[in-house]
Amino acid sequence: MIFDKLKNFVRRKSFHVTYADAGSCNGCSIEVLATICPRYDIEQYGIFVHHPNPREADILIITGCVTEQWKTKLKELYDKIPEPKVVVAVGSCACSGGIFDQEGKRVYPPIKNFIPVAAEVPGCPPRPSEILDAILGVAPIVFKDYDKKEANK
Amino acid sequence: MIEKNVDVSIPIGPLHPALKEPLRIKLHTVGERVVDAEVELGYMHRGIERILKGKPWNKAVYLAERVCGICSNIHCMTFIETLEKISDVEPTPRAKYLRVIVNELDRIQSHLIANVSYFLGIEHETLAMYTLDVRENSMDLLEMVSGNRVHMSWNVLGGVRWDIEDHHLKTILEMLDRMEPRIRRYMGMFEHGPLLQLRSRGIGVLSYEDAVKVPAVGPVARGSGHPESDWRLRHPTYRDIFDFKAISRKEGDNTARVLVRFDEIFQSMNLIRDAIDNLPKGNIQNKGRVKAGEGFHSGEAPRGELKYFVKTDSAGKIDDITIRTPTRLNLETCARYMLAGSPSIADAVAIYASIDPCIACTEG
Ligand code: SF4
Repeated sequence: MIFDKLKNFVRRKSFHVTYADAGSCNGCSIEVLATICPRYDIEQYGIFVHHPNPREADILIITGCVTEQWKTKLKELYDKIPEPKVVVAVGSCACSGGIFDQEGKRVYPPIKNFIPVAAEVPGCPPRPSEILDAILGVAPIVFKDYDKKEANK
Repeated sequence: MIEKNVDVSIPIGPLHPALKEPLRIKLHTVGERVVDAEVELGYMHRGIERILKGKPWNKAVYLAERVCGICSNIHCMTFIETLEKISDVEPTPRAKYLRVIVNELDRIQSHLIANVSYFLGIEHETLAMYTLDVRENSMDLLEMVSGNRVHMSWNVLGGVRWDIEDHHLKTILEMLDRMEPRIRRYMGMFEHGPLLQLRSRGIGVLSYEDAVKVPAVGPVARGSGHPESDWRLRHPTYRDIFDFKAISRKEGDNTARVLVRFDEIFQSMNLIRDAIDNLPKGNIQNKGRVKAGEGFHSGEAPRGELKYFVKTDSAGKIDDITIRTPTRLNLETCARYMLAGSPSIADAVAIYASIDPCIACTEG
């Protein structure tokens, strides 16, 4: 019981973020990068963003429509992240293919066909504050009482 | 195959803490020294040229600027200028100036983020955060002028999408005045910081001969003493109206490339001030329609020469299009001349960041 409380307390405010670019135009990528700047300052919420490493991450931010090479690698990347984990799809490309989902394309959107997605942030590109909002909104819901939810499954 | 005596081949990427975009760099090392490097692309290919074929030109503008999200405006501008060349349409005098203002604002923003990723590459987070903070100001200006932070769709055939109002022009001038001393300070911190220079000076040297051979373009070439690589020298607006002079440095190392970018930021600021002071009154759009034909045009993206080849049919549809982006050339230069010979593997990452690569552009 105490242990659960402790876990909840710790998980409420210390996330590691990892970041993957599955074929974006870089527009969303730089807006994700802009969230670490002093104006938006993602680190003040206890989120660690530097040195993205899937093996110690809690949150996976994915931008871009899925390109040929990423079709198999997305699942591999997802499996490398330890439980509990949250996937945030950033940008219209990641949500639906956006502007690239047209005749002649070489992409296979959306992301959610390949891995489970917890939050989608539409926009081309979304503002940094919206990305921040999505991360802060969805992560605590998934991480709270995670072990209990797993046991009841 | 390489027949050198190689100890270990170290792969970096496709997913790696130091890389913002997926690509694989293979470093062949002897001890800590890198003797050869290979670059493997293919993770970001979206087939944008194929999507563009058969699209009406006004839809193609939105796709062309989504080739790259960092230097979005120059793609839009070069594409439109190619169409204007094909169909003999001239932008109005006011539109020419407005194009320069937004293009240079975009360049400031792009050069700042390029330097941020270099500072993150050499692990100097403080300076990176300072620079990233200044960048937000230029993003604000872009948003105020065009309504969007990244993809602005600013250019249309024969002009620009809408006018910049006078009080907005005033805000731009004020903001530039506020940004300039800060950027000068950060430039000084980089130029005179002993530890920063230890990681940068004399690392990743690209000689003038090698830069011309590949050829390298953009700040990479200008860092090696090749000012003619700036295509703004050949752009009619910059050449005739602004009397543009390119900046270059001789050293060819990481420091030179970063400082060239800093210098170009101040140059862009002066161009914007010039443009705002002499802004002519009048229309912002000329009427015209796209004719059948084909043509080349080059523009100076923040990363170097950007080349468009477009073929249109009489209905204004794109028959054929080829885009050659600057990073394609710079990556080649980087792998062949700069990474090979890097004193350590940690420096290889910094060298790679110093050419300001944009893989999304390159693969399209
Ligand atoms: S949603 Fe828009 S900005 Fe984001 S990656 Fe796709 S095209 Fe680029």
